[in-house]
Amino acid sequence: MTIQMVLIKLALAFYVGATALAVAFLFSREEKLSLWMLRLLGIGVLFHLGSFGVRQYLFWQIPENRWFFSINSFFGALSYLALAVTATFFIVEREHRLGILGAFVLPWATIGVGSAVIFADPKLEGLVPALQSYWINIHPIVLMTAYAMFANAFGVGVALLVQEHQIKSRKPTELCYRLPSIEELDTLNYKIIVAAFPVLTVGIIMGGIWAYNAWGRFWGWDAKETWALITALIYAGYLHMRFVKGLRGRKAVYVSMLGFASVVFTFLGVNYLSQLHGYLSGRG
Amino acid sequence: MGRFCVVGLSHKRQGSESARGRLAAVAAPDVYERLRERGICEAVVLSTCNRFEIYWCDDASGEQDWERGFLEELAGVPIGERHDLRCDAAAVGHLLEVACGLDSLVVGESEILGQVKGAYEAAQAAGMTGKRLNVLFQRALYAGKRARRETGISAGQISVASVAAQLAETIFGSLSGSHALILGAGATAELAARHLLGRKVGRLSIANRTLERGRELASRLGAALVDWEQISAALEGVDIVVASTSAGEPVLRHAQVEEAMRRRSGRSLFIIDIAMPPNVEETAHRIEHVYLYRLLDLQGIADANLRARQKAVEQAQALIREKTEELWRWLAALEAGQELSLKHSPARP
Repeated sequence: MTIQMVLIKLALAFYVGATALAVAFLFSREEKLSLWMLRLLGIGVLFHLGSFGVRQYLFWQIPENRWFFSINSFFGALSYLALAVTATFFIVEREHRLGILGAFVLPWATIGVGSAVIFADPKLEGLVPALQSYWINIHPIVLMTAYAMFANAFGVGVALLVQEHQIKSRKPTELCYRLPSIEELDTLNYKIIVAAFPVLTVGIIMGGIWAYNAWGRFWGWDAKETWALITALIYAGYLHMRFVKGLRGRKAVYVSMLGFASVVFTFLGVNYLSQLHGYLSGRG
Repeated sequence: MGRFCVVGLSHKRQGSESARGRLAAVAAPDVYERLRERGICEAVVLSTCNRFEIYWCDDASGEQDWERGFLEELAGVPIGERHDLRCDAAAVGHLLEVACGLDSLVVGESEILGQVKGAYEAAQAAGMTGKRLNVLFQRALYAGKRARRETGISAGQISVASVAAQLAETIFGSLSGSHALILGAGATAELAARHLLGRKVGRLSIANRTLERGRELASRLGAALVDWEQISAALEGVDIVVASTSAGEPVLRHAQVEEAMRRRSGRSLFIIDIAMPPNVEETAHRIEHVYLYRLLDLQGIADANLRARQKAVEQAQALIREKTEELWRWLAALEAGQELSLKHSPARP
């Protein structure tokens, strides 16, 4: 096993541990669980970064890959995505002291790294000429950062649905008093989406510019392009409904979840449809 | 050999109210003064609404069975056999039980911990504490904190008004930005309003059918007054409604709430209906973003919380037994001229 794989498997182990503690923290008053969740997560991130660094170093050993970010493969993309999810979680946790949300957000980081380790091929190859552009250091990273933020918003949305259900049922359990309030979750969900939406939009426009440079056209209705647009439209709809119609709470979360489903499909499903953006087709 | 004892009257003894009332009026420094006259230089007086207790250490060389006479002298009335005297390990155990809230009317209440702390600090300031009482009280306070943190004896609110106020926080978070409207001006309405004020609700308004009574309550609570006819309009701007009028029929109807929600752009509305018969049409709960809790719901939650606390009592008792044994062994050894070390320093953060 290569060093890269050892490190990422260690990261995975720590992420699994942190996620388990986060779930346990939902049902226990013990503050130590939250503290240790953050510690395990921190250690996991260090291993993850180490694995990333090693991969980057090896990637650059192939001459045509020099100075390009190794995000062209499924493995690299998933790995980066998971890292961005934990980074966003750390920021949210720092701002709002909401360790309790770990149970709703960290599974995504674990699934990201887990599927990279289990399903994706870590093999490194030279970039095809079309991808040998500085844009590969920007366009996919910007978009995947947006995806990771949306994953966080999704986790917050799940927490909101749980909390709303608790209070509407008139039989709140201990969990109800441990979760943030409906209004806080609603605001947080909205804040993350407001922050992520411009990132998504900029990422898509960058893709257009790159496409124009590489293929001579801004937009070509490639499956990835279409689905990215659909995603953006759903989130734009969410923001519109919130601003104009005052859509909040449960129903707003449903719309944002539809948006996240679209994110997941754009990232995964489209690989089978797209000629130009397939990680699996290997054409980049 | 010296003794550690506690004598006192508590709510647990029927018929002790009047004597307790009189003892509560006695200033602690006077008690210390009289104890010193008896040659007792280490004592703590704990005086609250529910108990009057004197904890002391002496060398057991003086007069015996003076406690009842002493209390009667302080109270100025006979107390009969309504007092409790405990010594040695039983006294240590009692102190721990009191500090942990197991001897309180409401299991696990937290006020008593502050009262024990206050009593101990006052005794310390009066120069009435020595090594034995210092260690015993500091350990008891620490055990009280631990019992509340590690067991569920003080988890969950157990009164209707406090459950309601806590639920408001699960909807709005901090209540400092929330506006509460109280319908009614009776005692229950006031109690609920005070609980919301206790949680720092941002704004409070009162509406009452009889304007004069409403105004009275509003001025007592520092709240705004809303005209009874303007309730529908007021619903648009408030977050919490407490309905507690004696009206025999609903004062808030489904249609009224629905109409108000249309103008609230998705902000949650928490309606607390603690009136009997109910003041708010039950179907209002089905409206999106409306959370209607009735007296029965709140009572159910309060009861469940109390049952959960009582279940946790056993855990707390185990902690108390363990600590009693440890402290008693330490105390006995100290009397024998030997100092044992105690586990878990209370100075630990």
